[in-house]
Amino acid sequence: MLETPTARHPSTAYIERILSGKTLLPDTPENTLEVVGILKSYGVVIGAYSKNLLYIAEHQFLELFPFFKYFNGKTSLSALLRHWFHDRINYEYAEYCMKVMLWHGGGGLDSYLDSGEFKLLARKAIDAKIRNNPLIRSLNQVFPDFLPEQIRQFVYYSVLGQFWDVMSELFLTLADRYEQGKITSIPDVVAHIKAGLVAAAGNPITYSVDIGGQSYDLIPKSAGLIFISDAAVPYVEAIFFRGTPFPGTVSYNAQAQQISPDPGRFAYGALYADPLPVGGAGIPPTLLMQDMRHYLPESLHRLYQNTTRKEADLLIKICESFQKSMFCVTNAAILGLMPHDLETTDPKEQKVNQHYLEGWMDRLRTSQLETVQTNSLQ
Amino acid sequence: MLSVLLWIPFIGAVVLIVLPGLQDSRRAQWVALLLATFAFAWTIFLGFQFDFSATGSQFQERLSWLETLGLQYQVGVDGLSYPLVVLNNLLTCVAIYGSDPDKERPRFYYSLLLLLNFGVVGAFLSENLLLFFLFYEIELIPLYFLIAIWGGARRGYAATKFLIYTAVSGIAILGSFLGLVWLSGAESFALQRDLAETLTLTQQLILLGGLLLGFGIKIPLVPLHTWLPDAHVEASTPVSVLLAGVLLKLGTYGLLRFGLGLFPEAWSVLAPYLATWAVVSVLYGALTAIAQTDMKKMVAYSSVGHMGYILLAAAANTPLSLVAVIVQMISHGLISALLFLLVGVVYTKTGTRDLTVLRGLLNPERGLPLIGSLMVVGVMASAGIPGMVGFISEFLVFRSSLPVFPVQTLLCMIGTGLTAVYFLLLVNRAFFGRLITRSDGKVVTLAPVIWRERSPAILLAILIVVFGLQPNWLVDWTRATIADFSGSPAVLAQRTTLPEADLARAITLH
Repeated sequence: MLETPTARHPSTAYIERILSGKTLLPDTPENTLEVVGILKSYGVVIGAYSKNLLYIAEHQFLELFPFFKYFNGKTSLSALLRHWFHDRINYEYAEYCMKVMLWHGGGGLDSYLDSGEFKLLARKAIDAKIRNNPLIRSLNQVFPDFLPEQIRQFVYYSVLGQFWDVMSELFLTLADRYEQGKITSIPDVVAHIKAGLVAAAGNPITYSVDIGGQSYDLIPKSAGLIFISDAAVPYVEAIFFRGTPFPGTVSYNAQAQQISPDPGRFAYGALYADPLPVGGAGIPPTLLMQDMRHYLPESLHRLYQNTTRKEADLLIKICESFQKSMFCVTNAAILGLMPHDLETTDPKEQKVNQHYLEGWMDRLRTSQLETVQTNSLQ
Repeated sequence: MLSVLLWIPFIGAVVLIVLPGLQDSRRAQWVALLLATFAFAWTIFLGFQFDFSATGSQFQERLSWLETLGLQYQVGVDGLSYPLVVLNNLLTCVAIYGSDPDKERPRFYYSLLLLLNFGVVGAFLSENLLLFFLFYEIELIPLYFLIAIWGGARRGYAATKFLIYTAVSGIAILGSFLGLVWLSGAESFALQRDLAETLTLTQQLILLGGLLLGFGIKIPLVPLHTWLPDAHVEASTPVSVLLAGVLLKLGTYGLLRFGLGLFPEAWSVLAPYLATWAVVSVLYGALTAIAQTDMKKMVAYSSVGHMGYILLAAAANTPLSLVAVIVQMISHGLISALLFLLVGVVYTKTGTRDLTVLRGLLNPERGLPLIGSLMVVGVMASAGIPGMVGFISEFLVFRSSLPVFPVQTLLCMIGTGLTAVYFLLLVNRAFFGRLITRSDGKVVTLAPVIWRERSPAILLAILIVVFGLQPNWLVDWTRATIADFSGSPAVLAQRTTLPEADLARAITLH
């Protein structure tokens, strides 16, 4: 039987680059500055998102009208006015990501949420929560699937909150180490992220809520859900790769089958996004870019100032830098999940590694990977 | 008082040339802008003194000059010319302010712009046929140089073509004026309403024919229009603004003042043919515009079409239709000036006006979103969307011409529909979709738009909306003059009239 020579794979250049210890994103000082700078502001923003997601999961559990869910428990007239004036973080973006994860599912979490164990735990929490609410109780009897589905959503609130809590810390320490001169290149960045992911890989994912002074487990430790396989990998799959088609300045015609009916073939995630539609009102990624612009480190902001349009297209520049940084995170995830050691000399292991990398590269073929190779700020 | 309007730009033009220390482009621009703004302010000041109820000309001034030739320095302003003077002085300010601050040979450039203003204002204010002709010719010289020196690649061709066409136009007009004075046996070239009353109809028709040829080139009417798209494409943005905004109006103004004003009898004989000619112009302009891929040429052909409405309303010659003529002149002046300004910005930023290349310019971050939005406003106004001055003027034109020339008016209405077609094509191609990508697949980064490029367009857009909502502010100036103008016995005998009350109602309603 003839074997297809591996050299024929269209992304061989990238595969060889990874195998030789280089990175998907070209290693230049400007790229390093951009990636570290943008990850610093991203770290601040997802830190805030994470706090809010955890607050909603724990304190707004099954609230019928969670009017103050973005206030983290600190309600006042001035806070409300600031909120309406839009002087705030766009927590809606965090919920958008949460829903994308819920929708695409994946990992052990997805199957756990369909298990009898979870249904039992959810039922207990529901009964406790609506004990004194006859209206909801009767509704619950008519539509018994409604509240469990809500709880599945709260689970995702909590899981994404826990995931981002780790990532926020990871990105902020990256920025600190860059400022201390310990990180000087893109491979350093990738290594830092990989180390962080590996260190947190086995962290348990748990979730319990407090109702009437009693704690109700929804994901007990015994469910065996862990950081890397049940939060990080589904997150990368849902947010980096699949995403959701959103209406921007480029629109899709779903009726004309321009959207694949199979969500598994979606390619609307962060790695594929066209930075151009950013800036239109109401487009989710715009919310993230808007949030990050408030926390840009001075050095990166100065870099952006040297471009043709200066502040005018800041959101697009942030999006471009962000995309570069996400390729670094993907790179770290690829390395972290490698089936065998990079330097292995065993031909069998090498082959497995090769196939593993080809699988990633096949998916990245239509991504913005080509664009970030040469894209410098203009 | 009125002469101040004339002599500010003239003296300004001389000062810019002779005064030392104005080599610096920006300083020359500021001096020119200061003078033009002063002239504009003076026009507004005169507006406050303007008597709305007076039918004749106001602020008249008269000095004898070459009495043996019958040439006097004789100026005045009435409801017909005043709005056009305001428009001209406003657009001169816009053109000067909107000029590239690093213009080469700035002293000559700004001095020519002021000289152009001088020629046009002079022509509007003249109450002497020969004086009008002199100003009409004076205005050619600066415009020729403005196109020939600061124009695009084929500027020599375009400028020469413009010069030849407009010189022929001048000769035809001069011929008619001379014929009129000689045949009527008048002692001077002073403009008098009854100058042609003693002439036979044939004589009148021949003289009117000369004027139609002359002003028809200037307006321009198909098939005398071919100089215009070339001139527009080669001219720089400020010159295009003035050309479309004011200079074309010299043609329609002349036709109204001298054609209809002096030969009402012959006019009524020719009116059905003129209305048909208007249809040809409107439809030809619109259909040709659809076929264009150069944005500026599209706007230029749109100009040809829209000037046809003026001829239609002038041919109808009812009190309401003459109001429509003035309103359409102002409306077209504002709208086409806006469109040319915006096309100019697009050209400066992208380096092209090719509609097969341009795409997605409405992009909020990397494109020209404000310019694009103003363009949408401009094309909506041009297509006669209610709430903007284009609707008022076109509605007035159609409302007043329909009872007189129903078929021609209906055909012209198709032109309005076609305006929407080509301008939607323009907006759709250039402004919607994904932003232009370079050959290597990357998005172009357009230089940011600065306020000097935005503000004149914003000002014009505001005026377009304000006059669209409050057309009376535009119509009131002309009402008395028009009532008198169309009140001459010969005209009254010939035309199909709308009752006065109808006119008043139509104007108040719209």
